[in-house]
Amino acid sequence: MSNRNETVGHVWLHLFLIIMVIVTVYPILWVLTVAFSGQQELMFVNLPADPSLWQRIRAVMPWPEQMSLQNFLDVFSQQPFGRWLLNSAMVAVATTIAGVFLACTAGYAFSRFRFPGRRAGMMSFLISQMFPGTLTLVPLYIIIVEWLHLGSNYLGLIMLYATTAIPFCVWNLKGYFDTIPRELEESALMDGASPAVIFWKIILPLSKPAVAVTALFSFMTAWNEFVLALTIMDKENMYTAPVGLRFFVGGYAEQQWGYFAAGSIVAALPVMILFLVLQRYLIGGLTAGAVKG
Amino acid sequence: MQHSSTRQVLVGALVALAVGVLLIGGVLRVARLTVVRGATEQNAVVTAASVSQVLAQVRAADGDLQAVARGLVDRLEDVDRIRVIDSGKRLLAASTDAADLTAGEVPRRLGREEKAWFDQAKELEANHRTNISEGNARKDEILRMAVAQSQLELVLPLFAGDTVDGSVQVLTSAVVPRVPGPRLLPLAVVAGAFLVLVALSVLLKGRWLFAGGLVLLVVGLWAFAALGLAGLAAVRHDVEAAIAHHALEVRDAVGLEAPGTTLDITAWNVDRFGAPRGTFDRAGTVATETVDAGLAEGGRRFGQAAGLLGVFALVIYYWVGAGWTVRTWQALRKHHTAYGFVLPAMIGMIVLVFFPFAYGVVLSFTNQTLYNVNQPLYDLWVGIDNYIDILSDVAVWHTGEDGSRIINFQNFYWTLGFTILWTVSNVSIGVSLGLILALILNTKNLAFRPFYRIILILPWAVPNYITALIWKGMFHRQFGVINQVIAMFGGEPIAWFDAWHTSFFAVLATNAWLSFPFMMVVSLGALQAISSDLYEAARVDGASRWQQFWFVTLPSIKPALVPAVILSVVWTFNMFNIIYLVSQGEPAGATEILITDAYKIAFEQYRYGYAAAYSVVIFLILMIYGVWQNRVTRATEGI
Repeated sequence: MSNRNETVGHVWLHLFLIIMVIVTVYPILWVLTVAFSGQQELMFVNLPADPSLWQRIRAVMPWPEQMSLQNFLDVFSQQPFGRWLLNSAMVAVATTIAGVFLACTAGYAFSRFRFPGRRAGMMSFLISQMFPGTLTLVPLYIIIVEWLHLGSNYLGLIMLYATTAIPFCVWNLKGYFDTIPRELEESALMDGASPAVIFWKIILPLSKPAVAVTALFSFMTAWNEFVLALTIMDKENMYTAPVGLRFFVGGYAEQQWGYFAAGSIVAALPVMILFLVLQRYLIGGLTAGAVKG
Repeated sequence: MQHSSTRQVLVGALVALAVGVLLIGGVLRVARLTVVRGATEQNAVVTAASVSQVLAQVRAADGDLQAVARGLVDRLEDVDRIRVIDSGKRLLAASTDAADLTAGEVPRRLGREEKAWFDQAKELEANHRTNISEGNARKDEILRMAVAQSQLELVLPLFAGDTVDGSVQVLTSAVVPRVPGPRLLPLAVVAGAFLVLVALSVLLKGRWLFAGGLVLLVVGLWAFAALGLAGLAAVRHDVEAAIAHHALEVRDAVGLEAPGTTLDITAWNVDRFGAPRGTFDRAGTVATETVDAGLAEGGRRFGQAAGLLGVFALVIYYWVGAGWTVRTWQALRKHHTAYGFVLPAMIGMIVLVFFPFAYGVVLSFTNQTLYNVNQPLYDLWVGIDNYIDILSDVAVWHTGEDGSRIINFQNFYWTLGFTILWTVSNVSIGVSLGLILALILNTKNLAFRPFYRIILILPWAVPNYITALIWKGMFHRQFGVINQVIAMFGGEPIAWFDAWHTSFFAVLATNAWLSFPFMMVVSLGALQAISSDLYEAARVDGASRWQQFWFVTLPSIKPALVPAVILSVVWTFNMFNIIYLVSQGEPAGATEILITDAYKIAFEQYRYGYAAAYSVVIFLILMIYGVWQNRVTRATEGI
């Protein structure tokens, strides 16, 4: 490839990439514009009855007529969004703790011990990923709400999210544990350490990066989940953030796009930053699990 | 077959027989209690219906209702109180209740607090009219008011000719029919089967003994169930005879009280809808065929239940008899550390994933809804009716009056077709767009590469429910920014969710936006892993750029791309949030995919059983896809 050709070719590539960047960024700028407009409307500007071309172009430019933080203030003071965010945080943190504990112990056993049912157990975790959500949703609703009376209750949702996250986390951690040399444990065994001590004192400290990714995945599963929360949490003050955001714009009542946009930014920003920082690890785990399946 | 010792086989057979007898016997006991309770109620109905028939005739002949009612309470042992309501004249026509009489002489106008009785009479009148006009019996013509344990208050229509214009309230005390206790013969048969097995164990060893035990177990439990069912049928015939006998006694007593009335005992033997049961004739002789026909349905259901419980007993037999309990126990002891580590996660998975899955599959064979969720599943069993319902409706469209095709968007095959269209278009767009972008970003010396990469990955980071709601806002008919762009170019605004193809475009655009970064990242990772030596070699051999792409690039990234495609097919097929939040199935369910349809059946129509069957069908489709995919991409095995 000569340099002359390269420059000419790159112009077209840049052009295509710039179009894609606009398409990619526009919805994000859109939500920022609606959020900072201080209003509930979808329109960025008020168009007159017979707008000129310039006015029409202004109407699709993602920039608010006036900057205002009013939506951010109101969504916490006028609306119970703070409460919903707290619900999401409680559920997500508890899910992360429970999910990581369950996944670490199971992943360690699958990695280190050879016992009857090991293969069946791992395969059953994998197959469970193919169950369509709605098939288990009705029984889960009956179990959680009708039998255990845990509807609109943190505990019910935490149990559900923790088990939803288990299969991916177990496979991910098992893969990482496999890479830790066995010699470390064998020498500890010689010194008379019990399996529990080996697990807590040797394996876990060595697996911090994998545990961190597992924790992040559990947290994001719980933080972003919508359907189960919609089904289980039917009291308004027990909504999680996703259900609450949909409440702003999903119903038949007046649609509050400003609250939705401001709330979305508050709810999405932490996970987006986490995701962008840690995406390489997540993608690695995802594709590794898929190939093994 | 594992080596099984004689002791294991015998213990296994004993445990399995005991469990089978306990479970099947339990079902029989419940059925027996139900029969007796039903007969007790039927006795009350017969008595009350006789009272209603007599009082209607007395009233037609302008007789003294109050006197006859009093006489009936005296003569009929199981009647404790009678009240007659005349809804046409709003009268309490007769009453044997002391409190009613202190409130005023009968007949008198109904008091304000007695309006509920008038309403009951009106309800019965309306129900009777509905049943007559529809030509079938589906509305209650006998109301049951729960009173104390041993008492039952029935409210029956009071006829004037063919129409209802009042009600008769009859408080009855229970007449429990006497039935013979359970017989010991079935138990003896089971014990005999076991003794035969013990005798066999002298002759046979190992797998032959195990097989013999299997045969004896099946025969023994079958005989137990069949004899139990026969006993149940005998009980049923006995109670029908008892009801007929009761009816004859009532007729004699009533005949003494009100001579000259025509008394028809078959008209008293009705079900709650007022339809005659026909289990005995005017002379009180039990109609055997009618009773047997009623038994056949119950017998079929009992057979299904007994079969299931029998299979359960066989599993126990296999588990114990083939030595599995011993080995399970040994494995547990030997590997207790490993099982200890796996146990917490496994319990969670079993309780909240595998059990709900199995429960869902069971539900799919029932017609459970929100309204009968407290009834036992056994009573709601409908076999494969749900599946037949879903799969047999092949009328995707019908022809309208003007000859145009009208598509039934609720049809399963329309939804399936739409789901496949949705999946295929999304994955194609995602893969091609992702691959093109990855190839571009992989170009050597391209300026601003990290900038492009981080921007283009953003949609993946946005939670998809937020993406969905943003796009829903952008596609808003009146204020949405996409219609503003169209207006900018001088076009007419489009009502995106009013036609299925524009609605499809909207959800497709949304999903394409959020799904291409995944494919891009996967492809980019794979592209960067290709050694540049390969391209060098291809160039030396004179390959064109297209040939390089086709013979070097594609084969190299295939191992990474294939699993990603499989994953995204499954994700897209079940992409609930986008459809549910963006198009909401509009217009009229046309853009519903299978998973959102199943959700709506469950949580908007509350048909749990049907929704479960729908979900099982989705699961099977995905399984078939998985198996097929596995076969086609065998090349990727062993990675």
